[in-house]
Amino acid sequence: MESLIQNILNALQWGSFYSLIALGYCLVYGVLSLINFAHGDIFMAGAYFAFFGATFLLGKTGVIPPGMPGWAVLALTIPISMILTSALGVTLERVAYRPLRRKGAHKLYVVITALMCGLVLENGNLALFGASRKNFPTLVPQIVYSLGGVSVTNLKVAVILVAVLSFLFLHYVVGKTKIGMAMQAISYDRFAVPLMGIPTDTVIVFTFVLGSSFAALAGVLFAMSYPVLDPFMGALIGWKAFIAAVVGGIGSIRGAFAGGFLLGFVEIMVVAFFPSTFRDLIAFSILLLILSLKPTGLFGVARRTKI
Amino acid sequence: MLLEIRDLRVKYGNIEALHGISFHVEKGEIVTLIGANGAGKTTTLHSIMRLPPPEAPKVLSGDILFEGMSLLSTEPHDVVRKLHVALVPEGRHIFGNLTVMENLTLATYARKDGASAISADLDRVFDLFPRLAERRNQRSESLSGGEQQMLALGRALMSKCQTLLLDEPSMGLSPLLMYEMFRTLKRLNEQGLTILLIEQNARLALRFAHRGYVLDTGEIVASGSSAELAADPAVKKAYLGG
Ligand SMILES: Nc1ncnc2c1ncn2[C@@H]1O[C@H](COP(=O)(O)OP(=O)(O)OP(=O)(O)O)[C@@H](O)[C@H]1O
Ligand SMILES: [Mg+2]
Repeated sequence: MESLIQNILNALQWGSFYSLIALGYCLVYGVLSLINFAHGDIFMAGAYFAFFGATFLLGKTGVIPPGMPGWAVLALTIPISMILTSALGVTLERVAYRPLRRKGAHKLYVVITALMCGLVLENGNLALFGASRKNFPTLVPQIVYSLGGVSVTNLKVAVILVAVLSFLFLHYVVGKTKIGMAMQAISYDRFAVPLMGIPTDTVIVFTFVLGSSFAALAGVLFAMSYPVLDPFMGALIGWKAFIAAVVGGIGSIRGAFAGGFLLGFVEIMVVAFFPSTFRDLIAFSILLLILSLKPTGLFGVARRTKI
Repeated sequence: MLLEIRDLRVKYGNIEALHGISFHVEKGEIVTLIGANGAGKTTTLHSIMRLPPPEAPKVLSGDILFEGMSLLSTEPHDVVRKLHVALVPEGRHIFGNLTVMENLTLATYARKDGASAISADLDRVFDLFPRLAERRNQRSESLSGGEQQMLALGRALMSKCQTLLLDEPSMGLSPLLMYEMFRTLKRLNEQGLTILLIEQNARLALRFAHRGYVLDTGEIVASGSSAELAADPAVKKAYLGG
């Protein structure tokens, strides 16, 4: 019983990471029908920006004297990483995707461009900072709460809480605000959006800002939970989050969350009963089965309605 | 002159669709552009709205002037929100994944004149089209074709336009509704709305408009007051069924 609850907590934590990343795939796909394969690397960049932000604030670079309390460093690191990662996401949109969109390029070229952008980010990181892994500093001391044999850290609780709040926030923004409606409108009929006096590109940039910010948030939390960073850390987790988004029903925010948590659960539960080398094999076989039964994903709607 | 098209040539890819057309619309007028399928009517309206590539035709030469200012480097959303020009596009292009109300709200995206002005306009649209009011919370995908056309027009009115470009607005409407809509448009015109109308039904268009132009494969071949055009033997033969 205890170990079951323990596993559920772990599943929720991993589900949170997948969900936060899956969101970015979901938003960009929902608005542009573009699978932004660079998104896993945007997550990686989020973790690195957090790393540089935190080490800078901790004074390890010698620029500012050490002594800032850990929680304050964290409180500053999160927005720093979100802002810089958004800037990176928007840069990709401006220099890589927008020109193709303007020329009416076929989707295949846009997807390949996204893949290449991801490779550029990974290898750019490798070239700039080398292959050595970075150790993310401990910003907030871990507190372990034990409740009848089940132990949970403050960090784990925070990760899950952040994912849930992010979901509620996005659900509100996309469903209830004007810019959210504009995002939905673009996904349905991009042609008519400027006719409403809406600057399409601004809405698209906003979409990238949202997706990248949440990837950054996932990056910070991931770096705090598993404090070893390397340039390729976003590749596999990005793929997994993408698969989670598709299984949930790509284009649907609820789907991205459901898919992320589903993947988290399947992975953790597989490991609970099988050797850990079986994890991805069995997890993805299950997802494959779900997709073959419901090709539009759990929350997917057939045809053009997305987000 | 409110709107002046001066010797406009545009192309799609390598195909020239307009070969240097010129016409103008004065403030407060109703002007119609008639022509056969593929003549370039929709192309003309899309050029005026400055819709972005890849959908939009590319301007080769000539100019589009609004109150004397060239629109060639204006963004489409600025044509709507700064110059208060609206287009009811061919094929309606409503946002089917949004409700009727959300479609109408979205059209007020760039308005800065406050909630009370917007809600007054909303009342006006619902007054014109009571069916939209009844279906305000329905996904607009599930509206009938005619209701979608009403929504497309309602959306344009919600954007607080002073110049309205209409691309075959009667498409899908029953004759009764069509006459009702034209009466409504006439009333809006009397209140100051300038209208540039494209209409398959040339007879109806010429009855409704003050002036008109005839477009034939990318060239303007005739122009004049509606009465003159309606009496022109060539126009009669080609567009009014003899
Ligand atoms: N997006 C496009 N790409 C390439 N060619 C186009 C495009 N849109 C229109 N054309 C061509 O430009 C010409 C004019 O088309 P347009 O749509 O302006 O005609 P129209 O007068 O509105 O016709 P209709 O009465 O059938 O709506 C046609 O020959 C058409 O094939
Ligand atoms: Mg047309």
